[in-house]
Amino acid sequence: MELAEFRAGLDAWLDEHADGLAPPSRETTLVEDMAHLAVVKRHTFDAGWMRWGWPERVGGLGGSPLLRAYLGEALTLRGLVEPGIYSMAEVLVPTMLDFAPAALAAEMVPLLLRGDETWCQGFSEPGTGSNLASLSCRAVRDGDGWRVTGQKVWTSLAQFAQRCVLLARTGTPESAHRGITALFVDMDTPGITVRPIGAMHGAEEFCEVFFDGVLVPGERTLGQEGQGWAVAMDLLPYERSTALWHRAAFLQRRLADLVAVAAPDSLDPDDVGAATELLYAFRARSRATQYRLAGGDRLGPETSVDKVLLATAEQAIFDLALDGVAAGIVGGDDTTSSKWRSQYLYSRAATIYGGTAEIQRNIIARRVLDLGAEA
Amino acid sequence: MDQAERELFARSVQAAMVSADVDAALADLGWRDALAGDARAAVSTLFDLQGRANAVSAALDDVLLDALGLDVEAAVVLPQLGSWHPASTGVATRALATRTNAVVIAERDDKYVAVVIPATGITTTPISGVDPALGLLHTELTGESCAMAHDSPVSSGLVVDWESVAAAGQRALAHELLGAARTMLHLAREHALERVQFGKPIAQFQAVRHRLADTFVLLEAADALLGTAWDDGRPETARMAKGLAGRAARQAARHCQQVLAGIGFTTEHPFHTHLKRVLVLDQLLGAGRTLTRELGRRVVEQRELPPPVPL
Repeated sequence: MELAEFRAGLDAWLDEHADGLAPPSRETTLVEDMAHLAVVKRHTFDAGWMRWGWPERVGGLGGSPLLRAYLGEALTLRGLVEPGIYSMAEVLVPTMLDFAPAALAAEMVPLLLRGDETWCQGFSEPGTGSNLASLSCRAVRDGDGWRVTGQKVWTSLAQFAQRCVLLARTGTPESAHRGITALFVDMDTPGITVRPIGAMHGAEEFCEVFFDGVLVPGERTLGQEGQGWAVAMDLLPYERSTALWHRAAFLQRRLADLVAVAAPDSLDPDDVGAATELLYAFRARSRATQYRLAGGDRLGPETSVDKVLLATAEQAIFDLALDGVAAGIVGGDDTTSSKWRSQYLYSRAATIYGGTAEIQRNIIARRVLDLGAEA
Repeated sequence: MDQAERELFARSVQAAMVSADVDAALADLGWRDALAGDARAAVSTLFDLQGRANAVSAALDDVLLDALGLDVEAAVVLPQLGSWHPASTGVATRALATRTNAVVIAERDDKYVAVVIPATGITTTPISGVDPALGLLHTELTGESCAMAHDSPVSSGLVVDWESVAAAGQRALAHELLGAARTMLHLAREHALERVQFGKPIAQFQAVRHRLADTFVLLEAADALLGTAWDDGRPETARMAKGLAGRAARQAARHCQQVLAGIGFTTEHPFHTHLKRVLVLDQLLGAGRTLTRELGRRVVEQRELPPPVPL
């Protein structure tokens, strides 16, 4: 399946099934968004679209990752999914392909793609943000398996998740990045407690997750013992590739919405021009990344450029929203205003989540510009 | 051009850029054939290297002639500094002093026409300005030439799609701006690694690292948008790319100047030549800030974004 054929076929299919895929009401909470996401994934999986771009050994139909990039873009542009919750597969499935035992990947990945399940990513800890090598959630050998004790935080969608890709320390506390192992954990295992964290944009999207002697079977180890760092390093560039292309589509839609509805004389042409150029530059950059991924290139630290551009563009666009639909964001209680308000507030996190703006610049300075270690 | 041809072309152009007579060297290596054969490869390679080397050539005139479809030995009179809209006075590259003819773009009956006149029909004054090495000329038509350019009926001139012709120049200038900015980043990076203060290279300080990282991100962004301008061929995208490239190069100059600090302020270091070149290139065929504002105005007025490039 080539992209052009996929695009034409998918567009026609989405037109035809517009009614069945549309969100049930305009008033949506995260719980409703998640339920609707499952419906959209189920439909698109059953019709085959969701399976393209993934290998056959995990229930896919093969073909280029460009097909996945376009599917997420099309669903986002039509307002059928929220890209933040949709794109989790783009981050976690490549990890399963590269590190999970073949049978486990074949069994589990279709559940995520079809929308039967939600997965989460247990990396960050209260004392471990970007300094991943210092994590302290422990997994100790217990028979053939592992017993996990510790805490994770900022775990997106954990309250909805059936599985978690977890990083745990299996070496000594001093073993740093060498003593980390990745595990695939069932979230209904006894000993796991999930506590959603209130966030300023009004949705409890991320959580604290507590592990109290949680038993994880040995065959749920991703990669080898002590290979968790490699799993994390493999995964992080995926956070900055296809998922970002989907986010670019979201920003395209919202900037288009904004200029269509902005109050007269509320938008400064300089700012609109700069935000538009920035968005189109981000889109151009991310597009090139999609083609590099599709061409078999190994993505690396240069994807931090994509993340910096996303964060800068997203904040520029929602800064404009605070000019163009100010009354709605600040004082509107209708659904449309609530959406703008929530998305404006969420945009403040764009320079924080997934590695802060400062961390991305550190990565570029060290690993792209080769400036040596920091003082 | 395939990869090998492109590399060979780049090596030849690189050598030409440091030769005594750049235009003669470019003619020898067949730059205009390359332009006619594969404009994207030829223009992106040549103007990037020209910007990096702080070199001066008549290649911009060649690009515009090619876009105009004119096979004559001529210099093309450009709009005034800052603008991309042709007017009766303008600027020209130093090619106007050496080429026999000049191409004047005149507005007639809401159309643009290109009129070829003898170069002697144009009164020129050298522009010394911030970057005398560029050798730009201020131009004004003499009485007789003015009549030729403006009074004859449309049929005697070549009706041109100026927006598209300007776009060809804007893409070339954007590559040159980014080339110059890449050299600034290179110079600042080298300095940061060599300059020791408080017992360590200043490249180890986060404030310095982040300025260089920001510069890199900006240049990558402008470069990506410029790629889209080539992909979609739309004049509006070329103006966006030139707008972003101009603004990015100016921001790169600010960051790199700060990292280079005192030495970058002296004429003993080459930084200032790139800074000055960027200031002038930014003004040719539309200043970055002006192009960006024009885009913003259109979007606000039409309440619609330009078409995004498809995947």
